[in-house]
Amino acid sequence: MAEIGRVRIKVPSSIKPGDVVRVRVLVIHPMEIVQRRDGKPMDKNYHFINRVAVIYLGTEIAQFETTQSISENPFFSFTFKATEPGPLKVTFLDTHGGTYEGATDIKFS
Amino acid sequence: MLRSGHVVGAALLAAMLGAGCARTETRSTAGLPPTPWVSRSIPEAKGEIRTLPDGKKQAVRYHRWTAEDFGGYRTYAYDDQRPEPRPGKVAMPAIAGDPKKGRSLFLSRALGPCTGCHLIQGDDVWPAGNVGPDLSTFGDRSLPDEYVFNLIYDPRHIFPNTTMPPWGAAGVLKPEEIAHIVAFLRTQKGPSPPEKNRDRDPNTRPKPVGFGDNLDPTNNPGVLRAEGAEALWARKGPAGKSCADCHQGGPMAAMKGVATRYPKYVAGYRRVMSTEDFLTVHSPETTGTPMLAESPENLDMAMLVKMASNGMPVAIDLSNKENQAAFERGRISFNKRVGQRNHACADCHSEGKGADKFLGGRLLGNVEAGLTRHFPTWRTSQGDVWDMRKRMQWCMTPLGMNMLSADAVEYAEIELYLTSFDKGKPMSVPGIRH
Repeated sequence: MAEIGRVRIKVPSSIKPGDVVRVRVLVIHPMEIVQRRDGKPMDKNYHFINRVAVIYLGTEIAQFETTQSISENPFFSFTFKATEPGPLKVTFLDTHGGTYEGATDIKFS
Repeated sequence: MLRSGHVVGAALLAAMLGAGCARTETRSTAGLPPTPWVSRSIPEAKGEIRTLPDGKKQAVRYHRWTAEDFGGYRTYAYDDQRPEPRPGKVAMPAIAGDPKKGRSLFLSRALGPCTGCHLIQGDDVWPAGNVGPDLSTFGDRSLPDEYVFNLIYDPRHIFPNTTMPPWGAAGVLKPEEIAHIVAFLRTQKGPSPPEKNRDRDPNTRPKPVGFGDNLDPTNNPGVLRAEGAEALWARKGPAGKSCADCHQGGPMAAMKGVATRYPKYVAGYRRVMSTEDFLTVHSPETTGTPMLAESPENLDMAMLVKMASNGMPVAIDLSNKENQAAFERGRISFNKRVGQRNHACADCHSEGKGADKFLGGRLLGNVEAGLTRHFPTWRTSQGDVWDMRKRMQWCMTPLGMNMLSADAVEYAEIELYLTSFDKGKPMSVPGIRH
């Protein structure tokens, strides 16, 4: 697998002003959870993404709180209304303080 | 069959021209390694058969594959010169066949299942295939029991070139079981009840739509796996070198167009090799990093190398005599009846036989459409990447044949034959399939 934190964003290739656009984003992350054997925690690494923020034109338009139940290399898909051309950023924060960002430019065509 | 420049000895020619359906074709040996190839694959992929302390044989295969030994049946191995088993016949047992038992045998996935190829009546019949004729009204034909019994026991007496396995002669079904099935088929009388579910009948079932863009990393986990090999490309192996040391400019630039020419005869190793086969020898010899066939490193690196040729047309070269001979041997293997089920690849995958029909719930690919340019592929039903070799190993194992090693020459030459149908078509690796 590629290195931790690599983000892939996909938006449709042709967007018209006012379109509801579906964004697909994937981040490489182990999403390690605590594991128990005989009731005793074995691994307390807790290394998983717990917050996702979507920033469009500089303002945060959505945020997701995620837990360790989400699988490795999580994939998210959401929609937003493309009103103006500009940057769309998706930021992931994990329990070890890591911040991973993916960005794409929304262009009208 | 003769191409200019292809030297064929008189004796070989005479043997090849010996006509008849059940011929054992003799092959030219051009392009074959002089000594048997030593397998360089992971233990599960070697096709090993172990003898247990009590004398029983057990096959070493992938996790959750059957460990049954099918040593009594033909394989693709070039040194397996056993002829096709002769059609067998026994007298029909004089028992009263039980239609209920027959029906559950017909549907049993531990046996055929017969519904893999034949549709019958019943809402619980799903998924049935249409490789064989629809038997929903077979009872109306009022065929003699003895005839139907013989047909199931070994259809080759009646249809010499049939795709249908010799269920009785191969030992899959006992004569009593066949008698029950005969009794059941007698009950399949028309008119068939009206169809309520379009998916039930393979003739009306919609074809699968696929899984979308196979090159989209947010859609195909195989792409992520392949990108993981970029780190392996740059990492120095035990010999102190990395792939990047000799192949400059990054994998996409350095490997552009390379995979379009494989499989091919590689003079240095005196055998036909696919990209995956070549990695098993090339990597340890240069960087010292082992890259056993079917290991994750081999699969990921093969995908990465092939991705560099995405969009480029497959361009295998069939003008030299080794590749031509290999193509011919691959074609013969493709048509060779093997295993307990006595199936050839052609039975499922060629036009006019099983191609583009349903085998159970699965649509069978047509070799003429080109089946190799998306391999290795992510398999959603397996949650893993499979290359062409694992696919070949899988095809026949549940049908009763001991698989060969993943990097076997026989498989490489079948792959070369298959790839000829992809010639000129654009590569698109990794694929995403069921």
